[in-house]
Amino acid sequence: MVSPNRQIILLALLLSLLGFGAAAYKHFALGFPLLASQQETVWQVEASITFEAGDSPIQVMMNLPDSNYQTVVESSNFKIPGYGYSRSANDAVQFGHWQGSGFKGEQQIYFRAESLRRADTPYKDEQAAKPEAFTAMMPRLAEEELVAARLLLANAEDDLPRAQILSIVDLLNRRNDENAELLLQQYGSAQQRNWLAGQLLTLQGYAVEVVGGIELDDERKRQSLQHFLDIQLPDGHLLVDTRELAILPWHQAMLFKRGNQPLLEVFGGTDSTITFATVTRQRAAFTSAVEAARVAASPLVDFSIYSLPLAEQSTFKLLLVIPLGALVVVILRNLIGVRTSGTFMPVLIALSFLQTSLLTGLILFVLVVGVGLVLRSYLSHLNLLLVPRIASVLVFVIIIYAAIGILSSKLGWQGGLKVTFFPMIILAWTIERMSILWDEEGGREVAIQGGGSLITACLAYLLMASEIVADTVFLYPELLLVLLAIIIAIGSYSGYRLSDLRRFESMERY
Amino acid sequence: MLGFAKPSSLRRHGIMGMNGRNVNYIARHNPRHLYPNVDNKYLTKKRCAEQGISVPVLLGVCRMQGQIAELREFLSPLKQFVIKPAKGSGGKGILVITGRDGESYRKSSGQLISHAELCRHVSNTLSGLFSLSGAPDVAMIEDLVEFTDDFEGFSYQGVPDVRVIVYRGYPVMAMTRLSTEASDGKANLHQGAVGVGIDIVSGAALQAVQHDKPVSHHPDTGKELAQLQVPYWRQLLLLASRGFEVSQMGYLGVDIVLDKNLGPLLLELNARPGLAIQVANGMGLKPRLKAIDRHIAQLAEAASAEDAEQRVDTILSLFTAE
Repeated sequence: MVSPNRQIILLALLLSLLGFGAAAYKHFALGFPLLASQQETVWQVEASITFEAGDSPIQVMMNLPDSNYQTVVESSNFKIPGYGYSRSANDAVQFGHWQGSGFKGEQQIYFRAESLRRADTPYKDEQAAKPEAFTAMMPRLAEEELVAARLLLANAEDDLPRAQILSIVDLLNRRNDENAELLLQQYGSAQQRNWLAGQLLTLQGYAVEVVGGIELDDERKRQSLQHFLDIQLPDGHLLVDTRELAILPWHQAMLFKRGNQPLLEVFGGTDSTITFATVTRQRAAFTSAVEAARVAASPLVDFSIYSLPLAEQSTFKLLLVIPLGALVVVILRNLIGVRTSGTFMPVLIALSFLQTSLLTGLILFVLVVGVGLVLRSYLSHLNLLLVPRIASVLVFVIIIYAAIGILSSKLGWQGGLKVTFFPMIILAWTIERMSILWDEEGGREVAIQGGGSLITACLAYLLMASEIVADTVFLYPELLLVLLAIIIAIGSYSGYRLSDLRRFESMERY
Repeated sequence: MLGFAKPSSLRRHGIMGMNGRNVNYIARHNPRHLYPNVDNKYLTKKRCAEQGISVPVLLGVCRMQGQIAELREFLSPLKQFVIKPAKGSGGKGILVITGRDGESYRKSSGQLISHAELCRHVSNTLSGLFSLSGAPDVAMIEDLVEFTDDFEGFSYQGVPDVRVIVYRGYPVMAMTRLSTEASDGKANLHQGAVGVGIDIVSGAALQAVQHDKPVSHHPDTGKELAQLQVPYWRQLLLLASRGFEVSQMGYLGVDIVLDKNLGPLLLELNARPGLAIQVANGMGLKPRLKAIDRHIAQLAEAASAEDAEQRVDTILSLFTAE
């Protein structure tokens, strides 16, 4: 049997290890930021589909954006009046369907998606090593074009893949090169030019797929789909913008289609167009981390506070700081030796301070308890039974609340109305206890314990109100295990309190 | 240094701190289920009677509101008596009647109270007004202790008692608490009563403190505190030592009063005795507690144990050498 003391040490170590371990995992593996206040940019792409409605029922199919090697795409579908929305997946291709009938004239359908960075791949690297739905294109050039392409490729530099790829794409920009001109005569549009570059790379032996998407680098309205190349290299995939002659980081693009997949199909309508708008949004970095981890179904996040509805999350955010208040009480009581009235009453008072702000809270608390003590002193003479006595004090407290609220409102001090944030029952008990203390031990003891309670409450408040602290426990609730370890460790501390050192000061002389 | 002692020097003196007391002694030696033995004075008294330990004589117990009507007849032969709540704390609710004036009772302060007022006091006691948690209580009616004159001049009003710390059945440290004007006649150190450390071997005063500061004379009577000598010392130690048999608590405070005729009487037991006794004695508790631990370990090796008499002999020899 392990001795209790060793058990405590082991338990505290185990809890700290668990707490710090889980926090470290979330930070390093899931990409949780250290501070909740850290901001990051989230790209939002809004697709707007317009068409002229015909007589027959309308069905609109859009290829939905896919997550890529570095990002997770979250599609949010908001309702378009009159249309039903559904999703379908076909060979790993996601489609959104809008269906409706009886429309006249121009129709507009909106779709919005957000690009979140993946937590499990390095963010900065433009190469990402996660092959997904990649299918390399086949050589499709006609014989005559093939000759021209071969001749053109003879000019390609022998270089490392990335430089070579760009140089091959650049071959199409050569002026006065008849081979390039011949090819571009056939394939002149931006989309065809991109495809052509893909063919050249395929001929050179690269595995290439044409992709369509939106580049996320600027806030732009009314842009049309852009075309890129997804090139497979032994160590990952490159996204190449053939027009700009640049390698794009994967998180800087949202891809809607691959290869020959259709982007948009409208049945029962004509003149359909699709345009895209890109918008950035600032938000707390951890929100993305949480969402990305949830999409990846990481159990540590899936079964956590973040899986709750937002309103409940904020309740828990408040609950999570209470252990910090408890820690303050433990430290002040067992290490310092501050005497308080009611062990955890200061924590509850500190919670009220969170709502009222410190100064207002202090004024109101002293006011309520002070007036309460005066009223309670009258009850002392009546020798009432305990429960009716505290119930009477409770009524006093409510009356004092109302009086403070009404008076301060009349005087134009809105702070007074915040008195309702104080827990009434706790205040009634505090008044009762202090009153008994006054009778039994005198006013000095009341001042000591009342002051001790307020100091404890203030310190607990300062800790609990600190945004950094509150955000940290919200981000890493597992750190509460570390807190528990500290509390357990203090619980077995049998050394001197600061108050012992003060009290036995005279003993030093012996 | 800045009014704070250095932890190292306190440790050298073997001073026990609050956490040390709670973790190493109270939590270890006072099992929770034994607390009623000390928190309920009626139970303490009953167990004392079983063990043949002298306590103030219990005249009667009022358990139910209905019995209050019988009080007048019950009290009629009694001149002086004390009514106290069984679960009262900090001396609350203790009514001391020292005489009569016609239909009225005379309190120790000289005030008169009517029979109706006395009945209300008992009624309040029964409904738990003086018990800490407000739990229903019983009222004990005790014979008034006739205090010895040996403390004459050492106390302002109030009655001094002797507090002995008894560790695993062995008395280890003692002090007497003398009420002062500042403490309002109460023997409560928090309120300014004077604590006088008593030599555990001889019963003679060691030194005195008030508000944790050393004093040499009683602040109200001006009497030199060093002259104090507690009479019947061995008897008193024996009584304290037997408090262990009553409570089975390993770390115990025993409060004893000295009756003029009956000698030391066990007044009350305390499962969480305070630490001020160290200041009053000018020494830490720990060395003595450790000495007792060593002694008991030796006894255990020899597979023997000691009764109260032997325990008192042991501490007299153990601590004389100190």
